[in-house]
Amino acid sequence: MRNLFAFFRRFRVFLVFILMQIFALTTYFSFLQYPRAQYLTTASAVAGKTLAIRNDLTKHFNLGRSNSALQWENKWLREQLPQSFQRLQYGLVKINDTLFKQQYEYIPGTVINSTVTKRNNYFTLNIGKAQGIKRGMGVFSDKGVVGIIHNVSDHFAVVKSVLTEEINIDVMIEPIGLFGLLKWNGENHRKGTISGISNDMHIKKWSKVFTRGGSGIFPRGIMVGKIEKLRPVEGKPLWDVVIRFSENYASLQRVYVIKNLMQEEQTELESNIPPDVEE
Amino acid sequence: MNVAVKYGVRFLLLVALQALVLNQLELGFGIQFMVYPLLIVLLPFEIGTISLMVIAFLMGILIDAFSNTYGLHASSAVVIAYFRPLIFNTFAPRDGYDPLKEGNSYDMGFRWFLSTFGLMLLIHHFWFFLLEIFRFDELLFVLQKTLLSLPLSFLLCLIIQAMIVSKPKER
Repeated sequence: MRNLFAFFRRFRVFLVFILMQIFALTTYFSFLQYPRAQYLTTASAVAGKTLAIRNDLTKHFNLGRSNSALQWENKWLREQLPQSFQRLQYGLVKINDTLFKQQYEYIPGTVINSTVTKRNNYFTLNIGKAQGIKRGMGVFSDKGVVGIIHNVSDHFAVVKSVLTEEINIDVMIEPIGLFGLLKWNGENHRKGTISGISNDMHIKKWSKVFTRGGSGIFPRGIMVGKIEKLRPVEGKPLWDVVIRFSENYASLQRVYVIKNLMQEEQTELESNIPPDVEE
Repeated sequence: MNVAVKYGVRFLLLVALQALVLNQLELGFGIQFMVYPLLIVLLPFEIGTISLMVIAFLMGILIDAFSNTYGLHASSAVVIAYFRPLIFNTFAPRDGYDPLKEGNSYDMGFRWFLSTFGLMLLIHHFWFFLLEIFRFDELLFVLQKTLLSLPLSFLLCLIIQAMIVSKPKER
């Protein structure tokens, strides 16, 4: 027993060092997988409030650009309003539209903290559980797709952005309608890659890439980017497709969080698919 | 000035600068400024390694809470706190360290500061980017980030040091 105490006394510096490293690294690697607590992230009350104050100070820096982007979107939305249309046919009145039912609702929010140079980049939003945000909801901006909600507290939310390693958003290449998964290699925040495109397809440069809307997180047809380069993958019948994101994530300010009103219905239906039986 | 107050002010200043300003700067090429290791080199010579590591850990975890890195800064700060006594012994002056002085470039000379703090920053940056990327096939990217960030962080630390450490008067 005395030897044990002597051992602890002799190596106490090293033991404290190891303990601290184990604590720091387990929180780091477990948070990357699944967020459990909020007190160490920007979704916590103190850090969230501080970052909100900082955003109040710095948001005016690119006010001009975000204003013109919002104005452009307003113009587009205004064109969809009934008063922008000239009535061509009188006498027919449509009451209670049964052809269309609302599937997606959008919750507006502001990015109060973001990075683009890390290997995995997370964005903090100024909206949380109180505004109806839940883990797993999709996030996009007026120019393109942004990411998926990763962690929520009462008034803040952390978004796992497109600029992370394991983002895997379902995308499709217009006009041929090819499906692939969106990835990011960590080098340039303006460029991403799509995996799983077989090289027997002819793909035009600068064709547009949209979300596929397969899992119900994103509606179909949210802009992702344009194809910039096609390279053959060595030893595999696949293209390495490099795309240029339509959104510049370094200056991202206003975003929308997607609430899918029919998500439960889709999940329930898809859970009835029998699992693949292994031979 | 009281020693605890002096280091407390430096602690808060460096944490705020790192978390609220420098972690938001995106220069491209994987460059990231880190200034908080400066506090660890400036702490008094006679401080024990365990208290040094505790201070480093607190500082790292505070910065982590503001930048969604969940323990990455804490881990790298503890690493350099652990290696500080070793590095200081290697570069010790002939008659040991004067407890009245501190590890800045005015008291100890620029050459001493360059070798000790440069080595500490190198360990810190390499550890940080290695854990951040954590893939062996991207080791080249880790090295690129380390070697590009290192001189810039060092220069910025020198400037900050000139602002927060008072120059001793010529006698």
